[in-house]
Amino acid sequence: MDDKIILYGADWCPDCHRSRDLLDSLKIKYTYFDIDSDSKIKNKMLEITNNLNVIPTIILPDGQILQEPSNKELLKALNLSDVSNNQDNQTVHDLIIIGAGPASLSAAVYTTRERIETLILEKAVIGGMAAVTDMIDNYPGFEEGVSGLELSEHLEKQAERFGAKIEYNEVKSINLKSSGLKTVQLIDNQELVAKAVLIATGSDYKKVNVPGEVEYLSKGVHYCATCDGAFYRDRKIAVIGGGNSAIQEALFLTRFASHIDLIVRSTLKASDVLIERINQLVDEGKITIHLDTVPLSFNGDGKMISSLSLQNNKTNNKFELVVDGIFVFVGLDPNSKFLKSSDVRLDDRGFIITNENLQTNIDGVFAAGDIRSGATMQIASAVGEGATAALKIRQYLED
Amino acid sequence: MLKGVTIFTTNTCAYCHMVKKYLNIKGVSFEEINLDENPHRRSEALELSGALTVPVTVVTRKDDTKEIIVGYNLAKLAPALI
Repeated sequence: MDDKIILYGADWCPDCHRSRDLLDSLKIKYTYFDIDSDSKIKNKMLEITNNLNVIPTIILPDGQILQEPSNKELLKALNLSDVSNNQDNQTVHDLIIIGAGPASLSAAVYTTRERIETLILEKAVIGGMAAVTDMIDNYPGFEEGVSGLELSEHLEKQAERFGAKIEYNEVKSINLKSSGLKTVQLIDNQELVAKAVLIATGSDYKKVNVPGEVEYLSKGVHYCATCDGAFYRDRKIAVIGGGNSAIQEALFLTRFASHIDLIVRSTLKASDVLIERINQLVDEGKITIHLDTVPLSFNGDGKMISSLSLQNNKTNNKFELVVDGIFVFVGLDPNSKFLKSSDVRLDDRGFIITNENLQTNIDGVFAAGDIRSGATMQIASAVGEGATAALKIRQYLED
Repeated sequence: MLKGVTIFTTNTCAYCHMVKKYLNIKGVSFEEINLDENPHRRSEALELSGALTVPVTVVTRKDDTKEIIVGYNLAKLAPALI
């Protein structure tokens, strides 16, 4: 039945593109006639429409003639009105990318160069976690390292140079149940529609979940050294965590703090280069490392932090350190809460499960970067995944 | 009606960068107090926000009432600028 649909239109006609985009996205076959290409075509259309010169004119297999239909009217005529109840004359984006970190921006560079219209939605900071990282030492191509903010700005400008659009908004939920078009709901109740969606929302620093952590947020408890480190000039602070992020951030904080206590649950798990650097600072007396140690509580006077209570895992010895601030870097949590009500399959930690094409369990919905189950949490990997996802999305849109 | 907007920032703070970018997109002029360059004004930011963090955005209206927005919080910043 599909191949008997006839659509009369013209290249200059936006509504014709809208109707064609809708049919294409639903993979419904039709025959397209450009009325400007041949006067016989236009005359044929006028004959069918009783001289009503309106495009798009769409002839359905059952003989229905639709002229300049809204998307809703077209879907209704095709008995597909349940595909989405909010597609009336709405722009159908080729691709919506949720998140604007390295995976997203790198995907956008590829898609926009391929003329795939791309809208990026970001609720917080362009560059994501990379942007709030002081110095990135292991991103290829920068022999002296590069600041996270600078790298993010370059990625953003590059994506925008090819035509990517970035909108500052937050996604509330997504409706991916339907075949064909995907609907993205924003917190301001706007609804956006796209043929494909790339989820690249990354991750955020985990909390340690001890008493005082929430109470003293930004009042001595912090998760962003580049944002809040400057408040601790010549002050004593504690950094919690023993991985690459914790060590990198502790090194950054030595610019400000007079002394840092590094609280590590087991042993240091950072790269050898970082461990070497931190050991130099230990020798200089600037940093003290407490291995096998966990925080029990963050304490203060109700207004600001004044100390933290700790316990050694091996000896069970409890002790307290007097500090002015605590910076927490104990791992990452996925930014996938908005997917809870969707059918996108997540692993038991909330990261998105994809196949080898970086596609989720739902056709046309892809994931890349830190949000993806099994991701290596490296900026270089995220950039690579963004590029891969873009190429797979191109293939999906062409099929 | 707005009388003025002041932002407390630091050089390395990506969220500060985002607030400035947002204000520029909206065509709102602002005064920036960079705490790396003016460390003596850190206590001022703390007093206004009650928090040791940046960005702190101070929106002053014509009637001299102030709204303090801590962090990059579009849900609070956008309506404050109306």
